[in-house]
Amino acid sequence: MSAYDEVEIEDMEWNAELKAYTYPCPCGDLFQITLDDLRLGEEIARCPSCSLFLTVVYNAEDFADAKEPTTQKPSPSPVAVA
Amino acid sequence: MAAAALEERRWREPEDEAAADWAWSWGAGTDGQLGNGGFDDHHLPQPLLLPTRCRGRVSFVAGGGAHAIALTSDGEVFTWGRGTHGQLGHGNLDNIPHPKLVKFLENHTITCVSAGWNHSGFATDSGQLFMCGDGSFGQLGTGDNLSRNFPFEVAYFNGRYIEKLAFGMRHSLVLLKDNSVYGFGSARRGQVGKCVSRNQKTDNVPKLIDGFPNCKIVNIYANGDHSAAVDESGHLYIWGRPLIGEDDDDQPRRILPSLSVSQVALGWHHALVLSAGELYTLGVYRHQKCDLPGSGNVLVQQSNTRATSSSHDRSSSLSMLETVPFIDGEHVVQIASGTEHSALVTDKGSVFTWGWGEHGQLGLGDTSDHVAPQRVDIGDNGQRMSGSLAVYCGSGFTVAVKLP
Ligand SMILES: [Zn+2]
Repeated sequence: MSAYDEVEIEDMEWNAELKAYTYPCPCGDLFQITLDDLRLGEEIARCPSCSLFLTVVYNAEDFADAKEPTTQKPSPSPVAVA
Repeated sequence: MAAAALEERRWREPEDEAAADWAWSWGAGTDGQLGNGGFDDHHLPQPLLLPTRCRGRVSFVAGGGAHAIALTSDGEVFTWGRGTHGQLGHGNLDNIPHPKLVKFLENHTITCVSAGWNHSGFATDSGQLFMCGDGSFGQLGTGDNLSRNFPFEVAYFNGRYIEKLAFGMRHSLVLLKDNSVYGFGSARRGQVGKCVSRNQKTDNVPKLIDGFPNCKIVNIYANGDHSAAVDESGHLYIWGRPLIGEDDDDQPRRILPSLSVSQVALGWHHALVLSAGELYTLGVYRHQKCDLPGSGNVLVQQSNTRATSSSHDRSSSLSMLETVPFIDGEHVVQIASGTEHSALVTDKGSVFTWGWGEHGQLGLGDTSDHVAPQRVDIGDNGQRMSGSLAVYCGSGFTVAVKLP
């Protein structure tokens, strides 16, 4: 088995609920890698729904003692009818 | 399980029984994207629970990451599947396992729709574009990076009539009737054309994509980080993440100059190209970098796959262009592509699928991969429905609908 794809960490999205960086998986679910994994130098992001996995490209030093990102994606907001 | 059966019944509406023989779906289903009332994968075609009154009136189905949009010939839209970013347009973030009318658009006549990974777009006959879902990469074109759970009008396009929409993973393309092509959303791979600054990662304002020399663009396509367009002479242009090679390109480039292209379907790492009745694949299915099961290897030998001669073509990409092996006596009339699987309909009304099958997205009753097109039994009791089907794909699922 080889990796489905190679993705830079900056193209992944922090998901506070999953406590993981995620990237779309072709099956419809998300490839995931936790902050702990990154601190340990892990390079593989797995999808919980299928057999595929990604290689994550990042600078290990950046994550050696990284904290959970606080910047959250703006949540979908209700919008008034025009 | 009794509870699951009850749950399934609860979602069904009284008139849904008739859906059994005119609309189907199969493949990944855990977000409700099969629209069959459940949240499970299915390896064989299931009835897609569109209301009976839509029978013979479904003109297009857009498949996203895990949601779908059905458009009817009189401009109604139904959405179902994953709703986590508001992409279903019902004003909430719920996953819905059956097609539901988008009430917000009830007083509009929708003429075209598209679905990205987690975003949706709807264009009206009166020159309006409505978008909803994930906006974090600017893919809603609203000038901000907010997500929307009701369709939100993109003011930029007000009064400018839209011919086609094509959305990729994190970007959106718009073809206007005046022949201009616009892009917005993720710009990382060049998929929305040139940006002002080379380091710009997203563009949340619609921007004209230059580079189509004096030609009339008739169709646009997007999936993953790829973008493509075809003009009225059958010339194919691609930009964004490369299907072949390593270099991203923010400039539309004409490829395969010897072909007159009639249809294109993009995956995340491959493209299908239909030209003069011949079907070609450009790029490769990435899942096949994994070890193929034995059956796959046997098929490679049987399938008589041949690389197209590159002698008559200057494009180096042709070495990666392969003819899709096909059955004698049937002609391909329509093509579709998921992330890693492909589908086609023949003039005899048969549906064929091939590619990645792990979630049953090939509809063949198992989870095998296939390198050559395989006939799908859509459960119409073997009746031939001559030329009367259309097939559509989302990331890991497939939809087939009977036409009038
Ligand atoms: Zn997956």
